[in-house]
Amino acid sequence: MKALTGHLHLRAGLTSSGDTAIVAQSFCAPFHLSKPHWDPDTQVLHAQVVNPTAGILAGDALDLAIEVESGAALLLTTPSASRVFKMEGAEQATGRQHFRVAAGAWLEVFPEPLVPHAGSAYTQETLLEVAAGGGLFFVDQLMPGRLAHGEAWKWRQLVLGLRVEVAGTLLLRERWEQSGESLAALASFTDTGPTTCFANGVLILPAAAENAEVPTWVTVIRQLHQNGIWVGMSQLRQAGWSLRVIAPDPLAMRTTLEDVRKILKTTFPRLGCGLRRP
Amino acid sequence: MNSDPAINTQVNWLLGLIQAADNFYPTGAYAHSYGLEGLVEAGVVHDRATLRRFLLNMVLPQLHQIEIPLATHAWEALGTEDWSTLREICILSAALRAPRELREAAEAMGRQRAHLAQQLHPSPLADTFWEKSQEEKWPHCLAVATALEARLTQAPVTAVYAAVIYAAVAGVIAAAMKLLRLGQNGAQTLLTEVLATGSHLTPATTHRPLQAIGWFNPWMDIASARHETAAARLFIS
Repeated sequence: MKALTGHLHLRAGLTSSGDTAIVAQSFCAPFHLSKPHWDPDTQVLHAQVVNPTAGILAGDALDLAIEVESGAALLLTTPSASRVFKMEGAEQATGRQHFRVAAGAWLEVFPEPLVPHAGSAYTQETLLEVAAGGGLFFVDQLMPGRLAHGEAWKWRQLVLGLRVEVAGTLLLRERWEQSGESLAALASFTDTGPTTCFANGVLILPAAAENAEVPTWVTVIRQLHQNGIWVGMSQLRQAGWSLRVIAPDPLAMRTTLEDVRKILKTTFPRLGCGLRRP
Repeated sequence: MNSDPAINTQVNWLLGLIQAADNFYPTGAYAHSYGLEGLVEAGVVHDRATLRRFLLNMVLPQLHQIEIPLATHAWEALGTEDWSTLREICILSAALRAPRELREAAEAMGRQRAHLAQQLHPSPLADTFWEKSQEEKWPHCLAVATALEARLTQAPVTAVYAAVIYAAVAGVIAAAMKLLRLGQNGAQTLLTEVLATGSHLTPATTHRPLQAIGWFNPWMDIASARHETAAARLFIS
């Protein structure tokens, strides 16, 4: 299959009636955008990014740029997991993601997991740029491979970079560049199992303060750490929270993340917008 | 009459290195377990064998992919008084630590070491670094503080690597002696093995570009995040 250089550029803004709408968009294969859905209860516009091809293939270069203007609220999901297929020799695929949230805007990014197949090579760099007073909930998930086929930790190269800037200040920089073998060894050492799944979340609150007392919702989320599921939340420098979840299998991960959203929506009602299209 | 100098000046930097690595050097390091206590509470580390795995599989990769490259960049930036890059390194160092406890521990010890270095080895370099870091509120970190100590004592960059690796590995093992059943000989044989493994550095480690620095260990991050609210604990981190 021919390699694709695809992009999706999207800008969500406030309409005169106070709803959120897509005010600018540009995309080409392998990206496709389904018709956005306005959720009147949570006042959030739900947009789903669809990859109509089988997944990410050798040579693909993907560019995603999402911007949410002041007053607007957007939820971005994908309908299915992003599979990264086997690549020959030195072939690889790359992805760049840039999410920008203005003051007074809200963005939730909650895609289905990334599934790197045996022999795949993928590098993804993500930049979250939030203005002072902007809010964001970003969750990235990784499955160790095609677990239904008994395949795990077999990718050739996987680099996942994340950079979080709030009000122009770098708050979090992560770079996942482990071999499958190294992660499998850690999963074995920590006894989280051969099909361990990971989720990495960032929550930026419009009015957060580093020395604030630990909010109740943090305490409740921390209580999800049980029965082989690891959950941790810690406050970032200056603003926001980091969330980590490790689960022994995909189902446990899905359930735990649903619980996290349920807990958070009591304080952040916009997280009540369903991840699945009605 | 012996005309030899009382001390060979070539060893002055080595004396500085030993002084800074000594456990009565007041950096507060004794109060930290560097994430170990959280993993002991999680049941992951419970004896010498699992401590060894923790050191080899978690501590050394963190040193090789974060601390050593940061120290190289800091040492080079201090050599050219590149304050803009030093600021970037300090901010990056804090951003690479998501768990609050680990970030604040690194910052507290880094600040103390940088401040001590300024007091013990007065120089325009130390003064300028301290003033800029205070004025511009740079987050401090051990890698930069160790590079500063080396520059002030004219130590080679290899001494920076040795100091960074020794402080981290010895710090964890010292904490482990309070958390686990680990005797002095067992601790020293483990220290020797891990230091030997950890000192195998390649240019890919020491000269990793700033944008490629990082390592991800969600187990350690979660254990540290949970340690923040542990009902009982011996160590600050």
